[in-house]
Amino acid sequence: MTSTAADDLTVQDFNQRGAAAAPVRKFYGETLLELARADSRIVCLTADLTLPTETDLFRDALPQRFLQVGIAEANMIGIAGGMARSGDIPFVHSFCVFATRRCYDQIAMQVAYPNANVKIVGVIPGLTTLLGVSHQAIDDIALMRALPNMTIIEPSDPGQVPGAVRAAAAHPGPVYLRLKRADGTEHFGQPEHDVMPLGRVRMLREPGEGLLLACGMMVEVAREAAELLAQDGIAVGVFDVPTLKPLDPGIVALARGARAVVTAENHSIIGGLGSAVAELLMEAGVRTGFARIGVRDVFAEGGTTPYLFARYGLTAEAIAAAYRTAREQRSG
Amino acid sequence: MTGAAGRQPAPRIAEPAELAAIAARLRRRVVELVAPTGQGYVQQGLGAADLFAVLYFSELRLDPADPDWPERDRFLLSTAHNTAIFYATLAERGLVDATAVSDYCRDGSPFEVNASERVGTVIEATCGSLGQGLSVGIGMALSARRRGYATRVYVVLGDGELQEGQVWEAALLAGSLGLDNLCLLIDDNRMQVEGHVDTVVKLEPIDRKWASFGWAEQVVDGHDISALQAALGRARQARGQPSCLVVRTLPGKGVPSLEGVLAHNLKLPPDVAAMALASLAETKS
Repeated sequence: MTSTAADDLTVQDFNQRGAAAAPVRKFYGETLLELARADSRIVCLTADLTLPTETDLFRDALPQRFLQVGIAEANMIGIAGGMARSGDIPFVHSFCVFATRRCYDQIAMQVAYPNANVKIVGVIPGLTTLLGVSHQAIDDIALMRALPNMTIIEPSDPGQVPGAVRAAAAHPGPVYLRLKRADGTEHFGQPEHDVMPLGRVRMLREPGEGLLLACGMMVEVAREAAELLAQDGIAVGVFDVPTLKPLDPGIVALARGARAVVTAENHSIIGGLGSAVAELLMEAGVRTGFARIGVRDVFAEGGTTPYLFARYGLTAEAIAAAYRTAREQRSG
Repeated sequence: MTGAAGRQPAPRIAEPAELAAIAARLRRRVVELVAPTGQGYVQQGLGAADLFAVLYFSELRLDPADPDWPERDRFLLSTAHNTAIFYATLAERGLVDATAVSDYCRDGSPFEVNASERVGTVIEATCGSLGQGLSVGIGMALSARRRGYATRVYVVLGDGELQEGQVWEAALLAGSLGLDNLCLLIDDNRMQVEGHVDTVVKLEPIDRKWASFGWAEQVVDGHDISALQAALGRARQARGQPSCLVVRTLPGKGVPSLEGVLAHNLKLPPDVAAMALASLAETKS
């Protein structure tokens, strides 16, 4: 039997290869560590997902304030609630779907109801995983929105992440931070603030006759959609909505007089950004064409992100088409 | 170990007869609280009265003058509906206003059937969605340990509550962490909503289950005050392991005609309440 190079490989080699393919910068993990070094109340909890949540940096630098709870998200949330009541600021970590839906009652009772200073941090938003429906968080924003006291932040590119994390830490109460791990494919926007202002939209393109409102990964897609519309002579503004709750009430003024408003989110059309904007505008009496782009009340499947975004209509073309239809709507 | 300021908790009572007298008063108060509206949990309250008397008057390091004392021991009632005995005890200990407790279960009162943080810090967490209290207790125990506090954390779970999966996530982790400032008390009254626990989902052997999860377990008669004190003392001495006391309690304890009646939500019409109070009046206090 002849030996090959592969015979000498160990599990560690594969782990190291994985690490080499990882993003050059851990925007989230670095910021959390920076905050924790300055504030001894910050503690870090993870449920067997240390590397994917970039909390290895925290684990290695501040092991006394790091807790590995194992694969037990409900327990992790309860523990965080107990720590917060003792004066700590726990950051808990998992995939978006397990950090919210899996432990919803625990979040309601041990985090949201007592307004506990717990930060729930999820990665893998929406349709961004090969792992399929079990790992796809298409209702996490809806679930968190329904909880009193909860603040929801979804930064739209790696440049916004540090400010979002600082804002979450500075906010005295529960926060759900919905993150996409940087993989080098993202647009990198320069943040305008060190600490992201909560409850404020961010203008990326001057308002024209109408408005595109997007969050997370769909912000860049919405910018492309605005370009497509511009090619047809239709000028629309593009706004990033990084705080899903509380929603910026300034959206009312932006939408008033707009020919149409289209929302875009990597999430179900039910309960997320589109629902929040519709509720806000209807109650404010804003009459405008309106459409939501998102996962249209279906479960998806495993696949690459470009494939899934195309298959489930999370595209610039879909946004532009929805806008064209919405601008022809008549109220009444 | 005391805190940086060398602060000491309020004095505690060691004499079993004195604690028994307190438990007798608490039982009467349970009946008085539940009788007017029929809301509240009589059988569970009467069963747990000795345990609550021992915990709040003999065991817990508290200061009624400063309920927010950071180094206080923490108490979590995971079965948060068992409030007649809980509020009666807090009032007797001077931790809540006894007059306000008389509004128990009335609209607008913070003294709801399920204890919530509306009452104040003495309700350390809002439980009642069963299975959550032990996880919260782990968080409090870890925070205290990291700060070097002498704080101990006591969590009461019902035996039926052990059917919740989250309890076992918490059991596994606390055992793995060797959290010796955590003390679990299982109110083993064999009763859940649909009757005897064994007719719903069998739980035995409870003590061996906890031992296998790495806990220092003891089984104790929940109506033997000296035994409860001794068991809590042993739990305090345990090192490198969380403690679990399986506390055998009798629903309705102290009222002969109610003892052993497995009624989750017993009502107390005036004649039954009067009979119960008369039975309890005969108890030496």
